[in-house]
Amino acid sequence: ATLCFQAFLQMCNLPIRVICRANAEYMSPSGKLPFIHVGNQVVSELGPIVQFVKAKGHSLSDGLDEVQKAEMKAYMELVNNMLLTAELYLQWCDDVTVEEITHPRYGSPYPWPLNRILSYQKQWEVRRKMKAIGWAGKTLEQVLEDVDQCCHALSQRLGTQPYFFNKQPTELDALVFGHLFTILTTQLITDELSEKVKNYSNLTAFCRRIEQQYFEGHDKDSSTIAARSSKRSLLR
Amino acid sequence: MAAPMELSCWGGDWGLPSLHPESLTVMAYAKFSGAPLTVNTINNPWRAPKGDLPVLVSEDIVISQPAKILNFLRKQKYNADYDLSAKQGADTLAYIALLEEKLLPALLHTFWVEAENYCSVTKPWFASRIAFPLRLYLPGKMSREALNRILLTKGGPPLYSLTEVEAQIYRDAKECLNLLSKRLGTSQFFFGDTPTTLDAFAFGFLAPIYKVCFPRVQLQEHLKQLPNLCRFCDDILTCYFRLTVSGHSPAGQDTADANLQKLTQLVNKESNLIEKMDDNLRKSPQHPPRKLTTLKLAAGGEESSPMSRLSP
Repeated sequence: ATLCFQAFLQMCNLPIRVICRANAEYMSPSGKLPFIHVGNQVVSELGPIVQFVKAKGHSLSDGLDEVQKAEMKAYMELVNNMLLTAELYLQWCDDVTVEEITHPRYGSPYPWPLNRILSYQKQWEVRRKMKAIGWAGKTLEQVLEDVDQCCHALSQRLGTQPYFFNKQPTELDALVFGHLFTILTTQLITDELSEKVKNYSNLTAFCRRIEQQYFEGHDKDSSTIAARSSKRSLLR
Repeated sequence: MAAPMELSCWGGDWGLPSLHPESLTVMAYAKFSGAPLTVNTINNPWRAPKGDLPVLVSEDIVISQPAKILNFLRKQKYNADYDLSAKQGADTLAYIALLEEKLLPALLHTFWVEAENYCSVTKPWFASRIAFPLRLYLPGKMSREALNRILLTKGGPPLYSLTEVEAQIYRDAKECLNLLSKRLGTSQFFFGDTPTTLDAFAFGFLAPIYKVCFPRVQLQEHLKQLPNLCRFCDDILTCYFRLTVSGHSPAGQDTADANLQKLTQLVNKESNLIEKMDDNLRKSPQHPPRKLTTLKLAAGGEESSPMSRLSP
C-alpha cells in the first residue's frame, strides 16, 4: 500500500521522504498506514490524500471525461476488492504463510508475549472480515483464480498502452503499480501469486516502466528489491 | 439440450420477481441469455441444499453463489456476454466490484439495518413468508449479518460511530449511482443494445432500491433523480419479466391479471347499471341526470346502494 502512495506522489512530482516507524499505526489519524505529514497537517488513506493533493492544486485525473472517471473508480474498486483482499487472505488466512512469515514479521518490533498477542488479534480481526464478505469459505486455489481473473481484466484494459488511460498516469496506475509490485517482490512460501501476475507480460512491463521512471532517481542506494521489501514490511 | 435447471430463490413483491438482489441478478441473467430455468420461490433458505439462496440445482450439481451460477450457465452455453470485447469483459468485472463495494452496503443498510425500514417493511415481509418458527429467528439473523458486514468492511477508524458509517456508505452509494448513470448515458443497456452480465448485476442491485416502498427512502429519491437508471430498470422489467408463462409468473403478472379482472367486473357492473337506469328513465322521466356521477363513484364498491337509490 505504501508503494501506491509513493508512486502517486512521484507522479504528481511532489518530493517525499519515507520514514519507518514501529508505532506508525498509532501516529496515523485513522489508524491506517501509510499517512503523510505535510507542514502541520496529517492525512491518511488513499482517498483523502488524493483529495488533499487535489486541493493543493495537483491532480492526475483532470484530463479524463466523466465516463473515464467512472471507469477509473470502478477499476480502483476492482483492485481493492480483489487484490487487496487476496493479499490479506494470503497473509492472514493461509496457515502456512501465517506461521512462517506473517506472525514473525508483524510481531517483530515487540517483545514476547506482546508480539504473539498482537498478531493473533490482527489475525482474528482479518478472519472475521473474511467471513463477513464470504471469503472464508474460499480455498487458496479459488483465491488465486480470482487474482488471475483480476489480472486478466487489468491486462485487457491496459492492452498496449503505456498507462491505463493512455498517455498520462492516474491514481489507478499508482494503485495498480503498488499492488502488483508488492506481489511480484514479496517473498512468500510459494511463488504462485507472483507467477499468476508474471503470466501477463504487459503488467510486468508496466511495473518495470513505472519503477524506472519514478523510482530510479529517488532511491539511489536501496534500489535492490530485498531492501525495498523489508522497508515495506516495517511500515505495514 | 441441457439438463433441466431449477433455481430456488426468494419471492418478490412491488412488481419485482424477487426482493433479494442476488436472486434478481441470476433471474435477469437467465432471461438475458435465454437459459430455460424453472424458478421456485422458496421462503425457507434452510431447506435449500446449501442453506443459502439463490441456489441452482441441475441434476446432481448444486451451485449457490451468483457468480458461480453465472459461470455455470456460461459453460452450458447460455452466454449473454458473447458479443463483448475483451476490454468490455474487463470493464464488467470492474463495475461489478464497484457495485459490491459501494452500493451493496447502502442497500443492505436500507433493507436490514435502518430501524424504521426494517421494522415496518422488511421484517414483516420476510416473516410473513417464512414458516413458523423460523420466522422468529431468521429475519433477525439476516439483519445481524448485514450490520456485521457493513461494520467490518466499512466501519474502521476514522469512522467511530454507526451514524458516521451510515453517512459514509450513503455518500458512497450516491456517488456510485451517479457513476453508473454517467456510464449508462443514453444507451439502452450498458454495452449497447443487448443486455449482458453487468446489466444483470446492475438490475439486481438497482431494482430493489427503485421499487420497494420504504418509509426512509433517501437512496430511492437519489435514484429517481437519475432518469436513465429508472428507465433501465423499467425496460428490463417490461421486456423480460412480463412475458413469463403462468406456471411461475412473477407478482407483477398476478397483479396485472387481478387488475384486468377487476376492470372487467367494473365494466360489467356499469353496463348493468346503465341498463337499469335506462329502464328507470323511461318509467320516470323526472330523474335528474346527475345520478350518473353517483352511480359511477359507487360502482367501484357496493352495487346495492345505487340500486336502492334508483328504485323509487
